[in-house]
Amino acid sequence: MPNIIEVKDLYKKYGDFTAVDHISFSVKEGEIFGILGPNGAGKTTTLEILEGLKLPTSGSIVVDGIDVQKHPTKVKARIGVQLQASNFFEALTLVELIETFGAMYGREVDAMKLLEQVQLTDKAKNQAKELSGGQRQRLSIAIGLVNDPRILFLDEPTTGLDPQARRNLWDLIGGIKKDGTTVVITTHYMDEAEVLCDRVAIMDGGTIVSMDTPRKLIDQLLATGFSKPVVQQQANLEDVFLNFTGHALRE
Amino acid sequence: MYTTYRLTVASIKMLVRNRQALFFTLLMPLFIMLIFGYIGFDKPQTIDVGIATSTPAGASEAFLEQIKKFPTFTIHEGSLAEEKTALDQGNRAVVLSPEGGTIVAYTSASKPESQAVVAALNQYISSATLAGAHISPLITIETRVVNAHNLRYIEFLLPGLIALSIMQMSVFSVAFVFTQYKEKGVLKRLLATPMRPLQFVAANAITRLLVSVLQAAIFIVAGLLLFHVTVIGSYWLLALSVILGSLMFLGLGFTISGLAKTTDSVPVFANLVVFPMMFLGGTFFAVSSMPAWLQVIAKLLPLTYFSTAVREIMTKGSGLAIIWPDLLGMVVWGIILITLATYTFSFQEREAA
Repeated sequence: MPNIIEVKDLYKKYGDFTAVDHISFSVKEGEIFGILGPNGAGKTTTLEILEGLKLPTSGSIVVDGIDVQKHPTKVKARIGVQLQASNFFEALTLVELIETFGAMYGREVDAMKLLEQVQLTDKAKNQAKELSGGQRQRLSIAIGLVNDPRILFLDEPTTGLDPQARRNLWDLIGGIKKDGTTVVITTHYMDEAEVLCDRVAIMDGGTIVSMDTPRKLIDQLLATGFSKPVVQQQANLEDVFLNFTGHALRE
Repeated sequence: MYTTYRLTVASIKMLVRNRQALFFTLLMPLFIMLIFGYIGFDKPQTIDVGIATSTPAGASEAFLEQIKKFPTFTIHEGSLAEEKTALDQGNRAVVLSPEGGTIVAYTSASKPESQAVVAALNQYISSATLAGAHISPLITIETRVVNAHNLRYIEFLLPGLIALSIMQMSVFSVAFVFTQYKEKGVLKRLLATPMRPLQFVAANAITRLLVSVLQAAIFIVAGLLLFHVTVIGSYWLLALSVILGSLMFLGLGFTISGLAKTTDSVPVFANLVVFPMMFLGGTFFAVSSMPAWLQVIAKLLPLTYFSTAVREIMTKGSGLAIIWPDLLGMVVWGIILITLATYTFSFQEREAA
């Protein structure tokens, strides 16, 4: 698969603070690429530079063959975005909201089809403020898809969601990948990265400390002789929780 | 064009569904109009005249009956003592007491209209005497009202209220909504689309310009129906003034949303500018009634240019030849405020060090 995103020597500083320190990576077409790291590692800054929302201090970023710094608007037309703060206009119904965002891309959108994709058809006439946390994230993803993007950027989409809503979102993101859309996602949750991501980059202090498929990263660690006390457990507490409460969405 | 059109439609929906905003932009100014309109500052003033009934009127009976029909007099009847007390307390301008063939007029030094009443009565007696003797007066005076359109307070107030409410709507609706968008990250999300920020700003501005024209129309219709005001001038010129006025205050609204970091600080910034203009901008009373030094300031306020232009058009039918300085004032303020807005307001977050 060819690379759909090429980042070379990306550097970003705010005043004296270095947020992203000369990182390079590439994302292959059709994969789910995860950016992992603790708070303040530079994940969101990196994402926002790729999305054309922020200018890098130096470095080159090519998204779908287009230089983001030279043609940010062209890039924006081809990507879908879900930001950490998923707030939208008040007083509009979900259908109107999706149509309005479609108009920002100069498109007529079948809002009901998108709502169906994210399982929000029964909320079509509601306003965004009436949605639960998980529903809000799904709306945010639906809006990210209004322009049929080549790449979808998701910034911590599952933070603050209950286990059912998280798993539901994983299914949704997996489905988007199946439709042929490349996904770049940031997360704090390693189980999530393991389930979803084809490849992950681990960031800390503005640099990429490691990057590969989750399986290979684990193997590399084990190869160094790493071991932790093995507890032969066929289930963990989350399995217990889901066993009692089921996988059905609560909202 | 398609994008801006769709955004305008969405923005109209948002504004119309915001009940709080509708209340402040339409109902509140209408309440003010009703209150001030019905208080009736301009009911014709009548003069309180007391007639002492303690003594028999005799020959002056017929004369007193005539006086009671004068529309400008409010007649009070009572004993001489009662009426003189009322005169003392300033509740009567004149007390007339028939004493035999003469009528004694008690006047009050503190009431300037007293003398005028006595003069008018003397005048009336003279003409009655001439008529009684079948002598036609040498000269007659015929009164013709020249100023056919006498400005009532409601007619003065209405144009001022139109300007005031358009100012409120333009400043507050933009300042609140855009500060909220900034605070909640909505602007950032919009920036992630290929839409140009100017398209979104234009859609919101067009929406508010339409609302301001609607506001003016509602006020005028309410004035016509409830208070029978007359609008003399050109409606086109009125629409032009309304749009110019709204534009400059939209600039102010965007400037404020650029300065305010949170929605909480919006009323602070906005009232700092809007509140003084409510009283100095020629809404409730004329700028010419202020002390000279204050007039200098008041005349330069954006709201003053706006309310003056609207009032000139509505009450005097003034054309471009007369109101061009006010329109020019609005254009200059519009340029200043919109330029200021482009410096303070941005979709882009400021990158903190």
